Amino acid sequence: MYVAAKGGEQAIQNAEQFYGLLNGPLTLEAVRLIQERLPYLVDRVMGEGSLYSPELAALALAQTGGDLYEAVLLLRAYRATQPRIAYAQPASADRLLTVRRISASFKDIPGGQILGPSLDYSHRLLRLDVLDAASSDQRSATNQTEERAVNGTGATNGSHQLSAIRYPPEFTPAERPSPPNQPAVADWQRGQGLLPPTEPEQIDPAAIPDVTTDTVMFPAPRAHRLQALARADTGGTLALGYSVMRGYGMIHPTVNELRLGYAEVELTHPVTGAVFSAGRVKVSQCEVISPDHGEQGYMLGFAATLGWNEVKLIAASTLDMDMSAGGENPAHTEEFVMYHTEPVEASGFCIHFKLPHYVTFASGLDNIRKMLGAMGWDQGKTTETAAPAAESESKAEDGEQVEEAVL
Amino acid sequence: MPYSHSQSLTLLTHAPAQPVKDLAEDILPHLGDIQVLVNRTGLVMLPYTDTATGTRFHLGEVLVSESRVRIEAGAEGYAVCLGRDLEQSMAIALLDAALQAGIRTSLIETFLAEQEQAQLAADDLLLRQVEATRVEMETF
Repeated sequence: MYVAAKGGEQAIQNAEQFYGLLNGPLTLEAVRLIQERLPYLVDRVMGEGSLYSPELAALALAQTGGDLYEAVLLLRAYRATQPRIAYAQPASADRLLTVRRISASFKDIPGGQILGPSLDYSHRLLRLDVLDAASSDQRSATNQTEERAVNGTGATNGSHQLSAIRYPPEFTPAERPSPPNQPAVADWQRGQGLLPPTEPEQIDPAAIPDVTTDTVMFPAPRAHRLQALARADTGGTLALGYSVMRGYGMIHPTVNELRLGYAEVELTHPVTGAVFSAGRVKVSQCEVISPDHGEQGYMLGFAATLGWNEVKLIAASTLDMDMSAGGENPAHTEEFVMYHTEPVEASGFCIHFKLPHYVTFASGLDNIRKMLGAMGWDQGKTTETAAPAAESESKAEDGEQVEEAVL
Repeated sequence: MPYSHSQSLTLLTHAPAQPVKDLAEDILPHLGDIQVLVNRTGLVMLPYTDTATGTRFHLGEVLVSESRVRIEAGAEGYAVCLGRDLEQSMAIALLDAALQAGIRTSLIETFLAEQEQAQLAADDLLLRQVEATRVEMETF
């Protein structure tokens, strides 16, 4: 039961300001720093927020102190204020400006394996030298300040180790550029008869099923499933995907292709009909492959998202394959996966439980007391703990039903 | 015109915002009365192609700024660019209209040529960085 509330306006304002105080000042510099230095976090917020705007995603992160669900909610809320003005031409893997493409199933894929920007084969060691250098630099600066105070000189002869450490280290680009586009690994497999042939669907982009405007019914159109996975919560997707990988599923996935790149946002000029690119956006996609125990040789799972988010896509494409295969486990069920990986609905429902439920709770408490009374429990022993609830009940009985402090 | 309409619009939308705005400021006095038809932010839905089945689906929306203008010569200019910088999209729309009407084309095309070189160079550097990460996998 939800009720009106009053009182405590100043406390609420103070709480919000306290939150901001602990997060530091919200400045343009802070937003720019987040956008430039935390691109994978920005990508995650954009993907789950289903809105590509690095600037606004960084602002949302700065504004919420890095609370991802609050940041995603802010982005989704902003999105709801904007009109949809056009549909872009469909993007596809073979037209991406590709910066990373790997396959774990075949090593000699057409176009070769391109690691791109990755920590896959790197040591996962904290770079404590960065902190040590900073500490050393700070000590040096402190000593110099003390020297100036003692000697009255500003002379410095210490080396600034901060400037000597460059992280990430620079590297030398190759003499020749990589091809901008890379073929799909699945197409090569289709050429070998390992996968059934397929053609891109010919459909007006405005007619593609859309979970943001359609009522979602099950079994869902594949377009709904893939859109829901594109905007799904990374953590939720990983948890369900991991469950089927560990054993609550029948399929061991192998990454057939993992790709990071940039897609052109191609639009049509309303007067001349010329198709042009309004800019590039970061996208990523993943295919997983597994032997098909039916008639075909192999089956594929697929997922893609705005921004670069590999762990989500490997988990999501595994879930896609499991949902297609079917099964009794919840993570094989389309309805279960789609409903429970929606970040705004899931986090919103979860955190609503911290809001006042006093009437609901008091109602239950009242029933328990009646039951205990009927059983002969001596309520006099619990007078102290029962008092606050009794007051609440009294208000409810008076018809006020005023529970919390908002107005 | 050395650049097609598609090429010129793409080069302009991919260019840094400030030089585009500066160029539009230079062209502005030659355009006469200007009618602003559209100047707003909005969303463009980006469809994507599933490589497993060929299904088209919506990947997500892109925040854009959109401008459409009509200049005194009667030409209409149009632009959409990423982000919420309405001055940037307005500048591109004005340059688009100027190109359609043949106003100050040599100046704009010189700018386009510079941008083309810069954008090709940026892509070349990116792809040479990518190429440096090519790996040959060996099995034992």
